[in-house]
Amino acid sequence: MAANRRRIQERFQLIGGSVLTALVVLLCLLSFVWVPHDPNAMQLSMRFIGPGENPQFILGTDYFGRDILSRIIYGSRSILLVCVLAVTAGSVIGSLLGAIAGIVKKGPISGLIMRSIDGLMAFPGILLAMMMVAAVGKGREGAIVAISVFMIPPFARLVYSLILDSENSLFIKAARSYNISKTRLLRKHYLPLLLPRLITLFTACIGSAIMIETSLSFLGLGIQPPNASWGLMLNEARQHFLQFPYLAMAPGIAIALSVLGFNLLGDGLNDALSRRRS
Amino acid sequence: MFGYIYKRTSHAIEVLLIVSIITFAVLQWIPGDAAQLILGAEATPEKVAALRTAMGLDRPWYIQYWDWLKGLFQLDLGRSYLFGQEVVTLIQQRLPVTMSLAAFSMILASVTAIILGSMAAIKKNTTVDYISTSLMQLGSSVPAFWLGMLFIVYFGLELKWFPVAGYVSPDHGLGPYLHSIALPSIVLAIGEVGMLLRTVRTSMLDSLSQDFMDMAKAKGLASSTMYLKYALRSAMIAPINVMGLQFAKMVGGTVVVESVFGLPGVGRLVLVAVEQRDIFLFQGLVMFITMLVILISLLVDIAVMFINPRIRIEMQGE
Repeated sequence: MAANRRRIQERFQLIGGSVLTALVVLLCLLSFVWVPHDPNAMQLSMRFIGPGENPQFILGTDYFGRDILSRIIYGSRSILLVCVLAVTAGSVIGSLLGAIAGIVKKGPISGLIMRSIDGLMAFPGILLAMMMVAAVGKGREGAIVAISVFMIPPFARLVYSLILDSENSLFIKAARSYNISKTRLLRKHYLPLLLPRLITLFTACIGSAIMIETSLSFLGLGIQPPNASWGLMLNEARQHFLQFPYLAMAPGIAIALSVLGFNLLGDGLNDALSRRRS
Repeated sequence: MFGYIYKRTSHAIEVLLIVSIITFAVLQWIPGDAAQLILGAEATPEKVAALRTAMGLDRPWYIQYWDWLKGLFQLDLGRSYLFGQEVVTLIQQRLPVTMSLAAFSMILASVTAIILGSMAAIKKNTTVDYISTSLMQLGSSVPAFWLGMLFIVYFGLELKWFPVAGYVSPDHGLGPYLHSIALPSIVLAIGEVGMLLRTVRTSMLDSLSQDFMDMAKAKGLASSTMYLKYALRSAMIAPINVMGLQFAKMVGGTVVVESVFGLPGVGRLVLVAVEQRDIFLFQGLVMFITMLVILISLLVDIAVMFINPRIRIEMQGE
């Protein structure tokens, strides 16, 4: 009974996560095909139309008279672009570092890599991102670099610990006894072992990447105006949301649902994976 | 026992050195010259060169780094050119705000996580378990800045329960102080509680499956004694570690919430430093906060060693 319920929860997580994630991706694809209005077109005569007041603007308009729905649709594109690129870069660099440290194991290189990873993890989250933005500059590139640096440690640690854990398993010992090259060992023997775990981590990391990107944009350090981005929309809403609270609703819900989607999917995959292993 | 403390401390110092190298290297990379930024674009090259010499920016990077590092160990974090003050002084003025936020939200988050987390573990795979874990998943998906805005509109503007923004120092009375810090602390706590609840739940599940729980049951102990005195006590080790780390990281992680609620804390200072490109201020702030994180996690690890009887006895046996 309990196991059955566990399965139901897991399935709920997987389905809920997939649906929400698919929605974000669909929104992003939609932005290439159709948006109700030009997201950056200002119409000052159309300022502060509330949601539902005008059928032309379903979610209303902002301070500049820009259509909120169009900006939400466009915002999904910039957020997915930044987050997927950043997490991909971070996961590749992190996994490589972890693999090198795991394969070399002892010696100064491995120690240096893992200590640097410890060092990166000592920075409180947003501080590291802000530091990278300070170095690279505000804007899309800054956000990508900031998030990818942030994503290096979890991947490096995962790969490192998995390699150390499976070092004594028979198939690795057998492979080593053939004296195959280290790159081949990694590619043919470790990679199939690592891949499912890496994919799970990747999914979960997109969720936290969205959180960092929107925080940066909210602080005015991420994507710059007039571009549409959910965090930036909330930043722009700050001056007027006490009179017009609806300004903060759509972008906030969009962020929360997409973070939730990727987190649920990541958790669901993780549970399914660990159940299959045990 | 001392061996462990020594090993843990030297690891902390190593991490600190690496952090200082990363910080220094990344901020060296910033385009533009600090002296030029201070004097403005219309300054003559001679003036810029003179200031560079005065600030020591014309020296090789490794000497600059060494000087900076020596300063760090004497808690000399450098000088902000934006404020014209020592970074340490600036931090001192703002630290009470950030510390209050971090402390209150940590207390709120810990109490909630311990209660809900142990309930979820004791009633594993029941509705209680699912509801509390789902709520927490939702809580950690909602961005703090948005939640802050919603709370301001609802609790501040509609219900008028709390002030909309601003900070009142405890010098003006405890009531107004707590009142001003309550809403932002709750917002921060909601973001933090998810991770903590997971840790409590996992570690509680682990201790519930231990032999001593069967023993307690066989002795016929009341379930409250059984859960509080036996299970919870042994289950608290891992969560205490996480709490310490989360508290430390919150000191740097309050940027967003301080910005939403207009609180004059360290987080706001970090934001100003980045926006105004005050490199020395930013460098000092980053190092201060990271040193605090490393120090607190070191202290927590050592404290846990004393609390945890299993480790303590192992150590004595050595």
